[in-house]
Amino acid sequence: MKHAYIIDNITEGKNVNTVVFSTDDEIKPGQFIMAWAPGINEIPLSFSYINKIKKITVKIYGEASEYIAHLKRGDYLYYSGPYGKPFTIVPGKKLLIGAGTGIAPLIPLIDDNTYGIISGKTADDIIFERYFNNRLKVVTDDGSYGMNGYVTTALKTLDLNEFDMLYVCGPEIMLKTVYDYIKNMDINAQFSLERSMKCGIGLCDSCSINGYQVCTDGPVFSIEQLKNMDEFGRTRLQYSGKRIYF
Amino acid sequence: MKVNTDIGIKLENPFMLASGILDENGYTMERILNNGASSAVTKSIGMEERRGFDPPVIYHDENYVINAVGLSNPGIDNFGEEIKIALRSGKPVIGSIFGRDAEEFSLLARKMESYSVSAIELNLSCPHVKGYGMEVGSDPDLVSEIVSEVKSKVSIPVFSKLSPNTSDIVEEAKAAEKSDALVLINTIKAMKIDIYARKPVLSNVYGGLSGASIKPVGVRYVYEIKKELNKKIIGVGGIENVNDAIEYIMAGASAVQIGSAVYKYGIGIFNKLNNDLNEFFIKNNINDIEDIIGVALK
Repeated sequence: MKHAYIIDNITEGKNVNTVVFSTDDEIKPGQFIMAWAPGINEIPLSFSYINKIKKITVKIYGEASEYIAHLKRGDYLYYSGPYGKPFTIVPGKKLLIGAGTGIAPLIPLIDDNTYGIISGKTADDIIFERYFNNRLKVVTDDGSYGMNGYVTTALKTLDLNEFDMLYVCGPEIMLKTVYDYIKNMDINAQFSLERSMKCGIGLCDSCSINGYQVCTDGPVFSIEQLKNMDEFGRTRLQYSGKRIYF
Repeated sequence: MKVNTDIGIKLENPFMLASGILDENGYTMERILNNGASSAVTKSIGMEERRGFDPPVIYHDENYVINAVGLSNPGIDNFGEEIKIALRSGKPVIGSIFGRDAEEFSLLARKMESYSVSAIELNLSCPHVKGYGMEVGSDPDLVSEIVSEVKSKVSIPVFSKLSPNTSDIVEEAKAAEKSDALVLINTIKAMKIDIYARKPVLSNVYGGLSGASIKPVGVRYVYEIKKELNKKIIGVGGIENVNDAIEYIMAGASAVQIGSAVYKYGIGIFNKLNNDLNEFFIKNNINDIEDIIGVALK
């Protein structure tokens, strides 16, 4: 178990905080850590900033995320990792597509030829607009901010053939929506998946999809890989191991 | 050259996937069976769906893994579909089960048989869940009753996986003597404290130690039991390469199971073990695996 000194804590939005810390770990975009809230739980979290200073952006949804989101300067972040296969970075024009805090692990990919889509249920879910210099579409389910609609509403306003790579992160249902929209369009895309994860080291089979482990074979999968995975957007294992349909 | 082996069921090579590792989702078992494993032992399945413990459920270091997953499983009624997917590989699947008493074990074994598994593995040794596993396995009368009862209810071979967390494993093995094979060893009860957080790491505090660090213990148990009882043995515990596997085979194991090593080497370890076993046989003029099973006892 590693530990890192917390330098700062930034409030990004409603129930979303970024904890800032320093480690020598070399992190590539899309990789994650298993962050430990001692005596509470352990959760996978990915990086929103990956230079010498590291940032992790946490949405509070349970006790462990609450503990980590509230770490303050002087506290320690306990973690293991980094884990997982990162995004493959290609030259050219990029489109980053994130649902809510799903935009966070895509932020390290931003360069001066990057465009973005951020989707959310409501205005409160939209964070990190500031990194996009207005090269961004925002869409919310309730229309309280940006366009009114879903991720496809925003996709329809863009000529996707202009982009050399799409990078997509969010709940699997949202990923599947994007996948279905582009699957017959000859577009390159990489998707970062999130499934019920326990061990982080490819042993427990909890996060698996068609025999591949999201924690070690992923979390990033190419559109070509996903074309051969009929579990994608269809079935997954619950925490107990019981197969359920999305 | 003959590397196929017989543990009551025929295996095309001695390398099996151990219970508890990548064997909860049928697709994963299918993929591993298509990549060099001769058979897969399922995650231990009980009567009811069970959530298991909260994370951290695993701690690992270079030489070991400690886990307390807590027997999470979907319940026997939900597991048939996974076995069906795994069986598309055409390779044998072995159903691992855990229960409180002989009646539960028998019911689970019959359900597993109805799902077309080739054998049953009785988990008599999980070290970290109250009322199951080790608590069952350390009572020789109960072990003997469970094995007899299950044997009388199914027509497929029955293996007993035993615990090293006992004062007398020979007694435990004798109690399980009616099994078709003994599986040695399960994990060793252990724990990890983080010295900066000043707390145990695993949510359950105690877990089971596996990985390279337990191999000498496993080899010793295989050797000792093989000497005492002339039973088929499946060796498991810390096998990371072909030399480790051969050591277990020479101690008396007719087949071996691979578990924790997957975190270091990925599922490619099975094809590598097969290639390296062939190479070892050629270099050392071994024609038949039978010639080296238990050779260290002779």
